Amino acid sequence: MQYRLARVIGGKGSAPDKFAAALRGVAVDALGQVYAAGDSELKIFAATGELRRRWPTSKPALAVAVAGDGSVYAGQPGQIEIFDGAGRLINTWRNAELLGQVTAIGFVRDGVLAADAAGRAIRRFDRGGRLLNNIGTDNRMQGFRIPNGVVDFAVDNEGIVHAANPGRHRVERYTPEGKLLGHFGRFDGIDPAGFSGCCNPTNVAVAGRDTVAVTEKAGPRAKLYQTGGKLVAVIAADVFDPNCKNMDIAAGADGRVYVADTVKLAVHVFEPVKEGA
Amino acid sequence: MSVFPQGCSRPRSLLLAAALFLGLLPAGSAFAQAIHYERPVEAAPQPENIGEGYVTPEVQRPRPRDYWLQLLDVALLAAALALAVWIVVGKRSRRGLVALSIGCLAYFGFYREGCVCPVGSIQNVAVAFTDPGYSIPIVVTAVFFLPLLVAVFFGRAFCGGVCALGAIQELVVLKPVEVPRRLDQALGLLKYVYLGLAVWFAVQPAIGRDFLICRFDPFVGLFRGSGFAHMIITGGAFLVSGMFIGRPYCRYLCPYGVLLSWASRLARWGVTVTPAKELECGLCTASCPYAAIEQRRAVRKKCLYCARCYASCPHEGERARAKRDLVAISPPG
Amino acid sequence: MSGNPTRRDVLATAARATVVAGLGGAAVFLAQKAQGQLVWQVDTARCINSRLGEVGGEVCTRCTTECVVSLSAVRAVNEHSKCGRCAICPAYFNIKSAVDEHGLPSEKLCPRDAIERKSIGYVDPEDPNNNYFEYIIDEEKCDGCGRCVMGCKEPLGLGSIVLRVRYNLCTDCNRCAISNACPADALGQIPVEDALKPAVVERHA
Repeated sequence: MQYRLARVIGGKGSAPDKFAAALRGVAVDALGQVYAAGDSELKIFAATGELRRRWPTSKPALAVAVAGDGSVYAGQPGQIEIFDGAGRLINTWRNAELLGQVTAIGFVRDGVLAADAAGRAIRRFDRGGRLLNNIGTDNRMQGFRIPNGVVDFAVDNEGIVHAANPGRHRVERYTPEGKLLGHFGRFDGIDPAGFSGCCNPTNVAVAGRDTVAVTEKAGPRAKLYQTGGKLVAVIAADVFDPNCKNMDIAAGADGRVYVADTVKLAVHVFEPVKEGA
Repeated sequence: MSVFPQGCSRPRSLLLAAALFLGLLPAGSAFAQAIHYERPVEAAPQPENIGEGYVTPEVQRPRPRDYWLQLLDVALLAAALALAVWIVVGKRSRRGLVALSIGCLAYFGFYREGCVCPVGSIQNVAVAFTDPGYSIPIVVTAVFFLPLLVAVFFGRAFCGGVCALGAIQELVVLKPVEVPRRLDQALGLLKYVYLGLAVWFAVQPAIGRDFLICRFDPFVGLFRGSGFAHMIITGGAFLVSGMFIGRPYCRYLCPYGVLLSWASRLARWGVTVTPAKELECGLCTASCPYAAIEQRRAVRKKCLYCARCYASCPHEGERARAKRDLVAISPPG
Repeated sequence: MSGNPTRRDVLATAARATVVAGLGGAAVFLAQKAQGQLVWQVDTARCINSRLGEVGGEVCTRCTTECVVSLSAVRAVNEHSKCGRCAICPAYFNIKSAVDEHGLPSEKLCPRDAIERKSIGYVDPEDPNNNYFEYIIDEEKCDGCGRCVMGCKEPLGLGSIVLRVRYNLCTDCNRCAISNACPADALGQIPVEDALKPAVVERHA
């Protein structure tokens, strides 16, 4: 399976559709609209790349996620801000303890998951923001091993949580209740099927049934795996700035993969090349 | 940005200018871009995460030589200068001077490994005068000025008694030959050129600055017991040729010697070959390996304070004996 | 020298006084500029091996090759409190070497084998690689070549290893021989207090 770069959205600059200093999170909704969290702002782009809307967040935006009802969750230091689709602030969950640095947000049937990099854990809340349980802390390290400083995860259609554990060079599968179901990944600095460096993969997205897309740093690349551990494709390796770290990744229903280049401050959109085409 | 508060204002402003210039170029220039790595959390695990009573090891940060020890160096330098003057001008003792210079060679040369010395400090002083962002510690200032101050009154006491570069050459003088006068004069010009070059390279903007005197110091490699091949080889060459040509570095290359010879022209109480009873024998002239005695008079600007003239003088020997006998016979009353 | 001073004596005395005054004035000028004790130190934000924004470049070994001290007075120092304590440390291992039977890279990065790797905290006998590790640089072996510094810098590592001048070794040359050769002009003279501060690579704002 092969991918090609279809579009580059954003970039570094002061224009409304560009990012001044940081691009940290990317998400995509069912319509193919791209949500980007950077600087202290959320930006929503059409699938074609035009800026649709943007609005500020009260603190630097670290992560973004779109719920099924169209509301937009912005992960920030110490809090999550919840907006409606037009950008009106609906609610703010503040908790310095449980939401130290919210670097990823996801949704399960009856609740919201938030990754807290400060606590090296994923927190499961009900829709009202009450903590139900933690994910990833029931181990000897009492959390994920993140020398890269970010906890990232994605939830598949069955409600299984796929979380990157970069210090262990693997992607782990959890139930929303926190039970470890399995994992794949191993260190290898040569074989592209392995994860290189000290701590990879850094970010993960669900890209279909039993398929996840991940990004690595140093050297930066995006790859597609079956959850059994089989490498399906190297989506891209040479288009990212080599200094990139913690590139957020998202996958659309149409098979497109969106990767946030944290140095060029641009979302790279990759689309699968049709076999035989 | 606390690093480099001094000495680097120039390159920084240059860099700034370069950055501004490059900023005007179209994006994608080869200039390395500054990357802002964020760390949402302090990613390094701390003892409380590691557990089992782990204690983070100390990071070794050995302190530099204590400041009072540096002041001690200056005090020793001053004391050695005073001692050299007393031994040579007062006591007229070659033996005492050799002992002093061996002591200084051991301390300033081999123990302190030849740094900091007045010879090299020329460059620091030159930079400190020309670069507003550069300064030198008071210790270096003192090391530079003390020997000059002494030279104004007593001549080049530093060369004979204190300088480690001089001492090591002094010790190898075996069978000095007289360098033809013309050649001696021609070679003597080299040191002015060397001084000029050293100052010129030192006062360049910091990025192109070079300290030639230190880079081509012939003996510092010997003092340290290690060094670049060129240093060891030139050092060896100077020592071998120094067996036959007295102190070639001092006479023909030493840039600090230039300053000392200027200063010593004014010296009033330097080495004087005028014993009360002059013998007209010329032994002193013959004993001077440095051609510093002309018509049986010491030439201040050339005299390197080795006291060989006194050692060779029959009259001096007589005087010393008489004095010793005098002391022995009649105790002071 | 008895009797009345001659014209020559007076002139000489006047000249001496002038020169002494000149030297004294120059010394006072320099003393007023003085900033206390200055020592050579590496600016980690300039050093090619640790400055950010450049990955995959060639390592610069001039601190090893140019220093007048045998082995070099510049050594790599791991600022332990900033170390990620990774199981697979890109400064310790050659992460591009083949994986051995323990799942670790088979080669080390340091050509002098100067880094010691030790597991710390509780060690799980079932899963010994899943642990925190301490990396201690043996200063007797390290020659300051900077390979580990480059291996540790972001985005590969956390940048806890940097090159530092060790003052028990440095002869405090008048003009540091490394600074003459340093392509990034990263060696400069700074006040002692600053030179001894824990050094981590400055983050650009």
